[in-house]
Amino acid sequence: MKDFAKCRELSPYLAETPAMRLGAPGKNGKLDLVFELDASNKSIMRHWDRRAPLIVQQELYFDEGMPEMPCVYILSSGGPNVDGDRYENRFTVRKDAYAFISTGAATKIAEMIYNYSALKQTFVLEENAYLEYLPEATIPCRNSRYVTDTDIHIHPSATLFYAEIYTSGRKYYREGELFVYDLLSVCTRAFRPNGVPLFREKMVAEPKRKSVRHIGVMHHYDVFANVIVLTPEKDAAQIYERTQAVMNREENLAVGITHLPNRCGLIFKVLGKETQPVKRAVREFCSVVRMQIKGKPLPEEFIWR
Amino acid sequence: MTDEITRLMRLVEFADSAFPVGTFSFSNGLESAAFEGVVEDAETLEQYTRTVLRQTVYCDAIAALHAFRAAGRNDYEAIKEADRQVMLCKMNAEARQMLIRTGKKMAEICTRITESALMKQWLQDIREQQVAGTYPVTQAIYFQQSGLTEKELFVAIEYGAINMVLNAALRCVKVSHYETQSILYRLSAEAAADYESIREAEYEDMAAFVPEMDIMASLHEKGKMRMFMN
Repeated sequence: MKDFAKCRELSPYLAETPAMRLGAPGKNGKLDLVFELDASNKSIMRHWDRRAPLIVQQELYFDEGMPEMPCVYILSSGGPNVDGDRYENRFTVRKDAYAFISTGAATKIAEMIYNYSALKQTFVLEENAYLEYLPEATIPCRNSRYVTDTDIHIHPSATLFYAEIYTSGRKYYREGELFVYDLLSVCTRAFRPNGVPLFREKMVAEPKRKSVRHIGVMHHYDVFANVIVLTPEKDAAQIYERTQAVMNREENLAVGITHLPNRCGLIFKVLGKETQPVKRAVREFCSVVRMQIKGKPLPEEFIWR
Repeated sequence: MTDEITRLMRLVEFADSAFPVGTFSFSNGLESAAFEGVVEDAETLEQYTRTVLRQTVYCDAIAALHAFRAAGRNDYEAIKEADRQVMLCKMNAEARQMLIRTGKKMAEICTRITESALMKQWLQDIREQQVAGTYPVTQAIYFQQSGLTEKELFVAIEYGAINMVLNAALRCVKVSHYETQSILYRLSAEAAADYESIREAEYEDMAAFVPEMDIMASLHEKGKMRMFMN
């Protein structure tokens, strides 16, 4: 596990948790999922290792737009992430395989007093692999501290659609919690299989120290989506052409897209007032990507999601 | 050791918006922000400028300080690493283009007006595409080679970021010279604290959280009508 304690922004939040010690069973979730093609060329989840509170069940094939795609929901038996929780996920998609990963519900980051909650993720995509990673939104509650660190190792022929949605908090809880968390720190790096770095994006929001309501930051928006698409250059060019950058005042939505460094793909950002329109924009973009790579659109979202 | 008066003269020269590296051609997404009505007066302009500054301080300035110290040790590999780190962290294609163009221009001017073997090698590597040659790293090399201090480099970077936005604002936002100078005066008073906040920062600390500004840059990149470059 990465030593998060070295992150400067976490230095005020390093006290031990008195209720359950750091690393205690149930506070240190882990997943290791591996997708590959079987002998009949069917993409399957060949290996899954899980440690509570994280749960993953056998893959399902419910995507009507791409019924051959194994779909997996990550669940947590522990409810929200609480003070001192650590999670470590590793997702591998082997040569030519494909998969869809999401979460069963929004990730709630509960109020904290002593420490922080952290997520370390590693994605490995081999030659011509394809992965859609579209979890539900993350909701950082009052006084919470959440840090994520994601490493992506991707072959130049593979495609990763990696989406994250962050809300401002429990907007409709009591008088409303809008940006009253302590810290949200999100770092994503990508590399080629030979270790050559492609990009590194780190976003640190500390709303109590520096307002995120400034123009250019969150301004009057409450929900933010960050989508990284790592894909071959020719596909990135097509996706870029088919995707609009817009300020939609009626829907209170702002959408932008640009090329990542080292011609490794695209980054797509959405700002909105509510989660659903932002999710819709992300899914529509995912559909463009899937159509470009797999020649198939994303199906309509389930009405209960 | 360069005397103080000469150092200050050099600082004023290199930080001047008239120093012809082409920063006047860029607006850091301000043009789209003005077109969309997001920035419309002095108050909103000041907020936008603060956001640009936050990104500059926590990305460009950190790398520049590392490059400056590496130039002092004559550690060319470490200078190249600072340059790579800037490029890895710039998510906007437009921002990367701006830093590469202005960096190359600065290296060209500097090799014309002074003798510096290090800067000559840097420019050659830029031309041969061995390095990106980003503006903050090229600035760092030149400041170190000219006998200026690390703090003076930071001043030039911070002042340059503020001035680029404010100069662009005079051409696309309804603000007066009095208002832009007033913003500059206020923000300049915070520069010392900004320097202290990143003085010991490492590459891992380079960060930016400016989603609306990123979207503005994207609107500019995708737009068809513009005064400023992309």
